[in-house]
Amino acid sequence: MKKTIALALCALLAAACASKAPAPATSAESGGEKKTFVVGYSQSNNAEPYRAQLNLQLQHFMKQYQDIELLPIADARQSSATQVSQVQNFITQKVDALIVSPTEPAPLTAAVQQACDAKIPVIILDRTVNTDCYTAFIGGDNVLIGRKAGEEAVKLLPDGGNIVELRGILSNQPQIDRDKGFREAIAANPKIKIIADREAKWLKEQATPIMQQWLAQHPDIDLVYGHNDPMALGAYLAAKAAGKAEQIRFLGIDGLAIPDGGIRAVQLGQLSATFIYPTGAKEAAETVNKILHGQQVEKEQVLGTTQVTKDNAADLYKQFDLSGQN
Amino acid sequence: MTLDTAPPGGLRRTLSALGAAQAYIGLVLVLAVGIATKGEMFLNETNLTNAIGAFASRGILAVGVTLVILTGGIDLSVGSLLGIASMTAAMMLSKHSLEPWQIVPICMVVGAFFGFLNGAGTTWLRIQSFVMTLAMLSVVRGLDRQVSDNVSVGTQITGPDGQLTPQAEAFQLFGTPGHNLFGRVYYPVLAFIVVCVVFHLILTKTRFGRHVYAVGGNPTAARLSGVNVTAVTIAVFTLSGLLAGFAGPIDAAYSASADPQAGQSYELDAIAAAVIGGASLAGGKGTIAGTFVGALILTLLDNVLGLNAVSDNWQLVIKGLIVVVAVVLQRPDLFTFFRGGSRS
Repeated sequence: MKKTIALALCALLAAACASKAPAPATSAESGGEKKTFVVGYSQSNNAEPYRAQLNLQLQHFMKQYQDIELLPIADARQSSATQVSQVQNFITQKVDALIVSPTEPAPLTAAVQQACDAKIPVIILDRTVNTDCYTAFIGGDNVLIGRKAGEEAVKLLPDGGNIVELRGILSNQPQIDRDKGFREAIAANPKIKIIADREAKWLKEQATPIMQQWLAQHPDIDLVYGHNDPMALGAYLAAKAAGKAEQIRFLGIDGLAIPDGGIRAVQLGQLSATFIYPTGAKEAAETVNKILHGQQVEKEQVLGTTQVTKDNAADLYKQFDLSGQN
Repeated sequence: MTLDTAPPGGLRRTLSALGAAQAYIGLVLVLAVGIATKGEMFLNETNLTNAIGAFASRGILAVGVTLVILTGGIDLSVGSLLGIASMTAAMMLSKHSLEPWQIVPICMVVGAFFGFLNGAGTTWLRIQSFVMTLAMLSVVRGLDRQVSDNVSVGTQITGPDGQLTPQAEAFQLFGTPGHNLFGRVYYPVLAFIVVCVVFHLILTKTRFGRHVYAVGGNPTAARLSGVNVTAVTIAVFTLSGLLAGFAGPIDAAYSASADPQAGQSYELDAIAAAVIGGASLAGGKGTIAGTFVGALILTLLDNVLGLNAVSDNWQLVIKGLIVVVAVVLQRPDLFTFFRGGSRS
């Protein structure tokens, strides 16, 4: 009995070694005639639809560079500790370039510094770290997106009106910025008021009951501003059920090109507008390629946003739909 | 377990009576606060239906968790099981266009399968249920994310004509706000009540029910008196999984999509409902009626605090305190300890 177990363990170990060994050998180490660059990417949390979409896009755009191999994307599952060890693993593997979407700035700073010390170029995607020892930062501008949403609200409510705001997780920086930009923009019309705001944790099923309560409390809601599309759509479901969806406008953010994402919702008339929070995947792939071939890159690349309206929704969906087919 | 020590006097008897009725007293208190502060707005039918409907899937999980708690175990995996069941429902609908009446049994089988594994692990491999279901929480969440590619799956499927497909139309009846059975009954509320009644009857009227209490009260005594402890334990975990599977489609219909994160932390609400309702984590003590009331307290509290615009931070504090008060009221022996009563 014991022998069998020992044998099985040996077999397992052998299998584990075998499966790990070839990856680095075939790529960077082989050098020789045709050099392949190996790129590691540590994603803060695959489970968020926005980040899943980012992963898909990054894999798609990386494939267009023949001599670059993107290692399997490491999912830190929202844990900074996990992410630090992933970054250190990539450093140990001597990847040629590293992309990191930090879960939180402070805990990742030291790890990014280590990569930098090891002479590995680092691209910070989407969220910042507290060091400037990196090669490039690529990310969206949440204050700008919030401001655009606010400007749209001002346009939709020329005579003023009452807004309710569904916020993401209160401690998240994007939430803080999306709120800040929005409030700045709606200040243009003092007759527009935010009469209630609450944390719905970025989730559709949290937004619905909150909106139901608001509908009971306030008979005069004119516009719902959701910090992301799922929350705006959760509020839409509640308003539809109460027969009030027609007289209320809904604004979201993210504009993902997935079947139940924001772009489709605009096409269906559920949202008045949404704002694409760019993933930066295309820019990241281009930047990695340039760095690896010794070209100059811009250190801070702040991406703009595109407003999704009924007119451009179909085109934008086509442009960003990377559901794996192509 | 807590009631068989020597009675040290009136205070203890009062407290123990209070302990038995605590859930009902709590419910009355919440209702009173709601009526006093928001009156008509709180008490109207739409508001109550909305409030209970939003909690129904967690309430159904709480019934399953209560069964496991009664045997002295715990089930931390129900949130993940609900998640994978809701994903299964959404995928069956969007990819295979199955009818709703086919989807629900499939989801229940999926839930029951993982529940059975929980039971098998705790009995045959003798892993503590806390650890076994904690592992299952992680495994099933991973599978959920894997099959969905981390992207939420919508349930409002439109056909080529831009209208909802008949299956998607029917699926909405499971809980999309504004869609009622026979034009009147909101399905999640009905489903929650039916589940409570059925399992109340199972626990109080059947031999299996008596065995569940026996296993939780004293497993050794139960075994010696001929109860198949292993079978009962596996059965309660399987039933808990089955109920999570049943709640999955409700959750998917409620938010018109299955999110890869759906059901996260629902297990905590479910356990809180059971505990507030008087279930003892030591096993052997608790009722479905209590859990039902516990779930009502949590959902109505949520509603009352929300209507009064109490911030989420304070809502968390208040909910936590209520759990503590509920547990303390169940342990009148604690009070005798403070009064200098001897404990050996």
